[in-house]
Amino acid sequence: MGTKIVVTRPTKIELARLKRRYRIATRIQKIVKDRLSILIMEFLQTVKECAEVKERLLADFTEAYSALSIATGYHGHVALERELMTSEMTVKLNAGTRNVAGVRIQMFEIERIDPVMARMKNPADTSSVLDHSIERSRKSLETMIQLAELENSLELLGAEINKVKRINNALEYIVIPGLNETIKYLTMKFEERDREEVARLKYVKLLIEKREAIAY
Amino acid sequence: MKVMNAHMPRRRRTLFDLQQETHPHVMCNDGNAHYFRKDELEKLASLLSEDEQRVLLLPIIMEVTSSKGEIIIRTKGGPEEKVFAAILGMPVTCRQQQITLFRPQLTVLRKTLKTTTQYMFTVSRDG
Repeated sequence: MGTKIVVTRPTKIELARLKRRYRIATRIQKIVKDRLSILIMEFLQTVKECAEVKERLLADFTEAYSALSIATGYHGHVALERELMTSEMTVKLNAGTRNVAGVRIQMFEIERIDPVMARMKNPADTSSVLDHSIERSRKSLETMIQLAELENSLELLGAEINKVKRINNALEYIVIPGLNETIKYLTMKFEERDREEVARLKYVKLLIEKREAIAY
Repeated sequence: MKVMNAHMPRRRRTLFDLQQETHPHVMCNDGNAHYFRKDELEKLASLLSEDEQRVLLLPIIMEVTSSKGEIIIRTKGGPEEKVFAAILGMPVTCRQQQITLFRPQLTVLRKTLKTTTQYMFTVSRDG
């Protein structure tokens, strides 16, 4: 049962206005429902992708750490640390936004990761084992950025779904039933007024007839 | 309706134009920018000829009509039809300047074309 909307003047104009509002509210609710279903679809798709990327990241990390431990065994901890301290890696990351059914989502795109070997201070001291380890780390960095984007989009989509759900519920359980109730109330009031009018006319007619009968 | 579709682009741009840019994007009605992924643009370009790239307007607008379980893409035919057929792996027909898709197809399409497609919400005339 919806809350009854208070009508200041129970007039026919007010009834027409309410009927128009009811039509608009119903149409808006349909669009809101559509948007909700699209957002839920996007959310579920993102969840699936997120799970896939997480698995991939785990595999990448496993490979990267095992490659790093092999490299440490090959070069020795001190030598490896010295090499890595002097090396650097440039990552160019483009950040922008994309829009999913009205939700602004952060988007990251790696434009370029410089080959690390070119930046090494002393290429003679490095080996293919270390290269492999660095390559694995680079790959896991890419996956990490992808995961960050997906997790952020999950949060934003979730928050928007909650918001849209609240709007939908407000329309479905409060606004539309409220308008419906008020329209019903006003229609009944007008019908009642009509009936009263008919009864009053009948009574007046009876009075006139009685008066005429007395006169004759 | 205006509020619901505030994320629509002010002006769509061709695939060819977007490919020339360093940061391909379009401006939306709400004043925000909508960026395109370069790998998506490259994928689209690989499916189309240069003439078609000059015709295809991005983002592709997908009309979600209430009370119908379908998505409509308004197009004059050509590039969109070709792109969707290639991505979905099935023939897509364009009737009365519109392509009709269903929800399961939409999921596949959105997985591949995340930034190059955009939703638009409409209400059917019958209510």
